[in-house]
Amino acid sequence: MDLFSGLIHGFSVALTPMNLLFGFSGAVIGTIIGILPGLGPLGTMALLLSLTYGFDPTAGMILFAGIYFGAMYGGSTTSILLNIPGEAASVVTCIEGYQMARRGRAGAALAVAAVGSFVAGTISLIGLSFLAPTLAMAALKFGPAEYLAVALVGLIIMSRLTGGNLLKSLMMIALGLALGTVGMETVAGYMRYTFKQPLLAQGIDFLPVAMGLFGISEVLVTAEEPAGNMQLQKVRFWELWPTLVEWKRSFGPIIRGSFIGFFVGLVPGPSPVISTMVSYSVESRLDKRGEFGKGAIEGVAGPEAANNASVGAAYVPLMALGIPFTPAMAVVMAVLLIHGINPGPLLMTEKPDLFWGVIASMYIGNFMLLVFNLPLVGVFANIIRTPLYLLMPIVLLLCLIGVYSVNNSILDIWLMTGFGLLGYLLRRLKYDLAPLVLALVLGPMMERSFREAMMISRGDLSVFLSRPISGTILLVGAIVLAAPLLIAWIKPLIRRKV
Amino acid sequence: MKIGSIVFAGLILAVGLVYEIMALNMPRGRLSYPGPGLFPVIIGVFIIATALGCLIQEILPRKKTGESPPTSPVPTQDSAAPGGRNVRKTFQLMALMIGYTLALKPVGFLICILAFLVIAIRIFGYRRWFPALAMAAVIAGISYVSFVLWLKVPLPLGILEEVLG
Repeated sequence: MDLFSGLIHGFSVALTPMNLLFGFSGAVIGTIIGILPGLGPLGTMALLLSLTYGFDPTAGMILFAGIYFGAMYGGSTTSILLNIPGEAASVVTCIEGYQMARRGRAGAALAVAAVGSFVAGTISLIGLSFLAPTLAMAALKFGPAEYLAVALVGLIIMSRLTGGNLLKSLMMIALGLALGTVGMETVAGYMRYTFKQPLLAQGIDFLPVAMGLFGISEVLVTAEEPAGNMQLQKVRFWELWPTLVEWKRSFGPIIRGSFIGFFVGLVPGPSPVISTMVSYSVESRLDKRGEFGKGAIEGVAGPEAANNASVGAAYVPLMALGIPFTPAMAVVMAVLLIHGINPGPLLMTEKPDLFWGVIASMYIGNFMLLVFNLPLVGVFANIIRTPLYLLMPIVLLLCLIGVYSVNNSILDIWLMTGFGLLGYLLRRLKYDLAPLVLALVLGPMMERSFREAMMISRGDLSVFLSRPISGTILLVGAIVLAAPLLIAWIKPLIRRKV
Repeated sequence: MKIGSIVFAGLILAVGLVYEIMALNMPRGRLSYPGPGLFPVIIGVFIIATALGCLIQEILPRKKTGESPPTSPVPTQDSAAPGGRNVRKTFQLMALMIGYTLALKPVGFLICILAFLVIAIRIFGYRRWFPALAMAAVIAGISYVSFVLWLKVPLPLGILEEVLG
């Protein structure tokens, strides 16, 4: 199936009433959680993961794509109107967006953010449509050595890009990999780290870990924060139209932000957040008016485009290689895994309905978000008034019921509670949770690839370096890991010469 | 947070050592035919090395010029909240979740969730008993209808089994 017939087939799948409903629901839920501080798209997807058990996998994927895109749209609303970012990818939007609101240009900022998000989302989806099938075809040549190299280097790059301490990130990766070894080993049926508990034979499920680390720990952290007073600025529908000058000034940043977001989205790590920072930095350097910090529309248009573009791009490695590069994509992958579907290069040929249906639904969802987000901006902004004493217990309730419903297991509730506490401690100690979760997801695949590569090469460790693709990927990983050390070593040498 | 970080890294180091000892007792096979213990042995070494690194990093005095404060305008998720944190709520919520998990099977979902919600609403700062009970009853009722009756999630009904079952 070529690209265009694939997309046409995808639209025939995505346009069924049920899938449209899932796309719409995802977009609404995403917008709401994007607005509400404390519960990000990742936590929400982890929360709803158990519910997708009862859905068709395509519907589950469409729902989650809607949530992820919707959260990026919704996040800008409260950033601009209240200076409160609904989720991390909208923090940068606060800087210029809120200043614009204070100058009476909130409507223009919201409109530019929404249109920029739509344009960027569409550009990234075109990129996804072209790149994912091409990469999937190329990945058919991948052997176990290549898969291990991609997963390993993905984890290394992520540990470098999360912005925190490298050693702490590496320790989180090690912990995640260790958790992935719990349970019955698949080749010889050997029990590892089960402590004679039959319930642990199946291993530590991703779901209680993700819900604990991202859902419960978010509630615990939110519970500690003192509630603040907020003054919501009213925006009328007719104020949502930017002036011609504002449109002209936004065009370049939207296009630049789209491409920045797409390319950053292909790299492992918290791409929506990083892409907004890169875009803001680029736009502030290009600023000739000296308006940055005082409400420059470029500072809203660029970052808002970038975070949406990165979402589409994040699907490329998952759909083409079956390897999630972000925790959110790991949750999306779990939707497939709980239905017994292994994402990877064969997904496009074996499950064309799912592959193309999900991509087509993203185009539709992106359009839906533009259409209902702008006129309903005032309604959505009011959601932030939902009292925490009502919202947070409901989130906990959904976690408790959701995690139990998958395996009807009390052990899963214990695991979720334990990982909730661990997640809370890790956040407070400034550890990044993402490498742990990704390593837990990738660990079993990495072990399988390692053992297969060893068996094929008859125990020759050089197989990882001698094969051109895996060798190149590992070289990139080594450079990324060693780069700061090399820079620190070279800098004084250069200074001395100067 | 420095003592907390040291204790945590030390704890992970201990976990890594136990993990490694257990891995060394598993059949490791040969490189050409790896057994179930080989990969855990490698990971165990990785945990120990990184935990040791974190521990040393926390214990050794930091160079003043070494770590510059972030210049990015983006605050991290761990930024301290203005007005200070209320750690007591975290302990209360954890105790509540543990209580819920222990009571779920014998007492049943409906009573457990009702009690859970009332207490959680109060922990989050709403002080009036009757409205809290009313809100909790409505949410518990909706969740019973949606999860037990509609989605057929077999949540334990406990002492209400005979009435509702």
